[in-house]
Order: sequence, then C-alpha cells, then structure tokens
Amino acid sequence: MLTLSELQRDFRLAMLADDDRIASLVAGDGLEPAARLALYRHHVLDTLTDALKSTFPVVCRLVDERFFRYVADRYIRECPPDGPCLFEFGSSFPRFIGELSPARELVYLADVALLEWALNRARHAEDAAPIDPGALRAVPPESVPSIVFQLEPSLTLLRSPWPIDRLWRANQPDGEGTVDLDAGGAWLEVRRAGDDVGFRALDPATHAFRAAIAGSEPLGDAADAALGVDPRFDLAAALHALLDDGVVIGLSVNGLPKKES
Amino acid sequence: MISRREATGGTHSAGRGTLGAGIGVREPHVAEILAGRPAVGWLEAHPENYMGGGPPVRRLEELRRDYPIALHGVGLSLGTAAPLDRRHLGRLAALVKSIEPAIVSEHLSWSIAGGAYLNHLLPLPYTDEALAVVADHVDEVQQTLGRRIALENPSSYLRFRHSTIDEAAFLTEIARRTGCAILCDVNNVFVSSRNLGFDPSAYLDALPASHVTEIHLAGHSVNDADGAPILIDDHGSRVADEVWQLYRHALELFGPVPTIVEWDTNLPTLDVLLDEAACARRLLDAAAGAPADAHAV
Repeated sequence: MLTLSELQRDFRLAMLADDDRIASLVAGDGLEPAARLALYRHHVLDTLTDALKSTFPVVCRLVDERFFRYVADRYIRECPPDGPCLFEFGSSFPRFIGELSPARELVYLADVALLEWALNRARHAEDAAPIDPGALRAVPPESVPSIVFQLEPSLTLLRSPWPIDRLWRANQPDGEGTVDLDAGGAWLEVRRAGDDVGFRALDPATHAFRAAIAGSEPLGDAADAALGVDPRFDLAAALHALLDDGVVIGLSVNGLPKKES
Repeated sequence: MISRREATGGTHSAGRGTLGAGIGVREPHVAEILAGRPAVGWLEAHPENYMGGGPPVRRLEELRRDYPIALHGVGLSLGTAAPLDRRHLGRLAALVKSIEPAIVSEHLSWSIAGGAYLNHLLPLPYTDEALAVVADHVDEVQQTLGRRIALENPSSYLRFRHSTIDEAAFLTEIARRTGCAILCDVNNVFVSSRNLGFDPSAYLDALPASHVTEIHLAGHSVNDADGAPILIDDHGSRVADEVWQLYRHALELFGPVPTIVEWDTNLPTLDVLLDEAACARRLLDAAAGAPADAHAV
C-alpha cells in the first residue's frame, strides 16, 4: 500500500503527466478510474489555464485562444504553480512562450508577455508611501553620488526592441488598427498610482537612469548610465522628476563617501 | 491544541444563527456591493485573492466595515503529507489579524504535492495515516491563528479502495481530536453522494451537530462521463431543488447555522445571487422560529 506521500506523488503524475498509475487505487463504482482521474485533471489544467489567460489576455489574443491553451497546458505541466496565490503564477511564462518554437516567429511575444506580467505585478503590489523630497537635503553633498534609492514595489522598467506598447494598446478589447513592427522599440515604466495600473513611455536616457536606480545602483552610476545613452541627459531635472513622481519610498547612502586626499 | 471554544471569535463573535445568510464575494461584484450595500447577512472571501496588496486588499477592508467577513481558504492543503506551507500560513495569519473574520475555514482535501500547487481540492484516502496528517495540520493552523477553524467536506469524483473510514466519520474524528468546527457543504454532500453512491441524508445524520457552525450551498451541473452521469460541483448555477431539500434536513439537524451561497463560474448578476441568499434566509428564519429549535445559541 502506498503511503499518503507516495499517493500524492502518483496523483500529481496523473494530473500533470498523463500517468495514471494511481488508477489501481481508485474504486470504479460504475465508471472507469481513468475517467474519474480525467475529471480532476481537466479541472486542474482548465482553471490554471484560465488563470494564465486572465494574466496574459493580450498574448492570448495575439496567438489566438487555441494556441494559447496549448502553450498554457505545456507550461502548467512543466512549471506548475508553487503556491496557492494564482496572481503570482506565471512569472516564467514570458520566457517559456518566447522559447517555444511555434511562437518564435512572433519575435515580440515574450516582451508583450513581460509587459503583461509587469502590469499584473503592479496590480497586486503592496501600497507604499513616497518619501518627502526634502529627505535628500539631509544627505551631505559629497555623499549624493552614493545614494541608493528604494523605489515603490509596483514599478517595473521594461525595454524592448519592439513597439510592445502599441501592440498592447491595439489588442485591448476596444483597440483597433495594425502596428508597424518597424515603428521602433519601447522604453516603458509600468506602475500603479492609487488604483490605476498603467504604463508610459520614457525617453531612453531617463529609462536607463531609472532602470539603474531600480536595480539598486547608486545615483552616480545611474547618472553615468543615462549619460552613456544621451550626453545631454539633465541629472538635476531627472532627479526632481523621480521625487515628484512619488516613486521613491526610501533612500540610503551606499558605503562611506570617498575622501579627497 | 485549541480547546473546544464555542464558535468563532473575532470582533464579530457571532455565534450560530446570528450571521444569517450570506454570499461568496467575487471580484466582479465588489464595486456593486460597495456602491449599493445590499442587505445580506455576511460575505465570504477566498483569502488567497487578498494576499498581495493594493486595490483588492483595500476593497476587502472596505467591505469589512459594513459586513462580517468569513475567510474561506482553498490553499492550505491540510491533507498534504508534507509539512504545511509556512509562508502561506503566515500570510493567512496576517490577513486574519487585519480583517478579524467571523469564521475562518478550509477544506478536507489536499492541493500540493512535491511543491506543486494543483489548484483543486483533491481527494484523500480516508485512512488512519491521513487522519493523523490532517489532525496535525488543523492543530498547527489553529495554534498559529489562535482560533478555531471550520473544516469543509469536499465534493468527490472518486474514492480510494484502501479507505477504511467513511467521510462523515473521518470529519467527526478530526473535529473530536482538534476541536475544529465543521463547515457542512450541503451541495458537496449531494454531489459526492451521487458520484460515489451513498445516502446524503444519512451522511448529514452522522455529523456531530454541535460542531457544525456553517453551511455552504451552491449549484452543480450534471455531466456525461463515458455514458455515466456525473455531477460536477461547478458553482455555476442556482442551487438545485434536491439540494434545497437536503438543506432543510440539515437545518433540522444542526439548527439555523450561518449559511453562504457560493457562485464561481457563469457568474450571474448580483441580484440573482442575493436572491439565492434570500431563499436560504427564509429557510433559516423558519428553522429559527420552529419550536423544535434546540440548537440555536
């Protein structure tokens, strides 16, 4: 007789791997054990597919529902959720769908999926209060380049060589029109402000600046990253905008300021 | 082990009979409930939908200002042989602390194997081993939350050959060992009775009435599986007539215990759902008024 742990291991195989070895433990009672297991399997796969569809509606529209369900089925079997909060399920789906050979010619698909994942994250992120911009004045001038900002948890900086913002908009329920794939890339900031989740385009230098800050790089390095993209980057203005947008929720000074000797 | 403290705790320490009839609250109805504040006894929410932050949590807190809330978990996987997911239990404890629900409930089932969450309330073999696992996990949850939980009977599409205990006796023994309450889902009893071939009234008769602190009602569908009819607990329609009949029997046995109507698929307009709750309410009122009512506290 199987232990409970072994039974659950084998039941999982029936749900995710079409392996019905557990059927020998299931009573028939007028219906084949395999048919009984299939009822459970359909529910597992259907509801998890629906969860992915609700997180990635634009991807579903781009590839059509039938193909989406096929990809979702493979994904669920290979990368099942690791916890019961389904709004957290699907973080690796963008990469998975991008690497799947039938979808590879839709070169922008993985990036659109990343945008949808960022929107989903923003929707469920913790609320966080922005710092008072005056907090910056308390930092001694020589330490300013070493400031590390903490940004609010709903924020994601995303860039793509494809116009994923236009693709996303054109594939909303009320969206229309076609998107020129040669229209250029997208430098996006995704966040939630109040209850409103959305994204906006940034210029490439500002995007590089904020992405570096979001990656916990000190202010000096973030400025260098932005200047590397555009030598006309205005650090003072970018810093003001960052604080005015209310996305900074904390700051610390990274290490000791360098002393001139 | 939490002793057999009566009922529910929390700010709404509503005992049996005072919450009346309520509905499972689903996202598409939240705005309408907040705007109209319909007269309904209480609301039940799945905690797993409120374990992040932001708008969903704020709206649950708003609902909580006007209604008693039950937190009805689907994710603890009390029947998994492996240890409980402590992170999930911690998140539940935090939500319980902030929402102060009238009732916290979970299922007699399992959903997690090898770290994978299978998003279904999967069946247990009713054995001594499973009994020990579930009782330990219920103990751990009650210790962590510092309160009693209610355990719900699942809907079943199969049974294991090596089960040695029937489900009602299994639930009864868990309640006896842990002091937990029982959430009797009358629709689940009906669905399982048809799918597995047992008498649903006898099942209700076998439950310890004093432990039943909540009842669930929902719709099911009748499907065809290889030529045999199989009932699917899809929460996608009105409560079936046979289930209302069984509910009347449950009220005779358990008294006018707080009742929730659940509806999850093919979600109707809010007034249809409220109408179902009003039907339950009328039966509850009748049960409360009946002279034979020796159960209400």
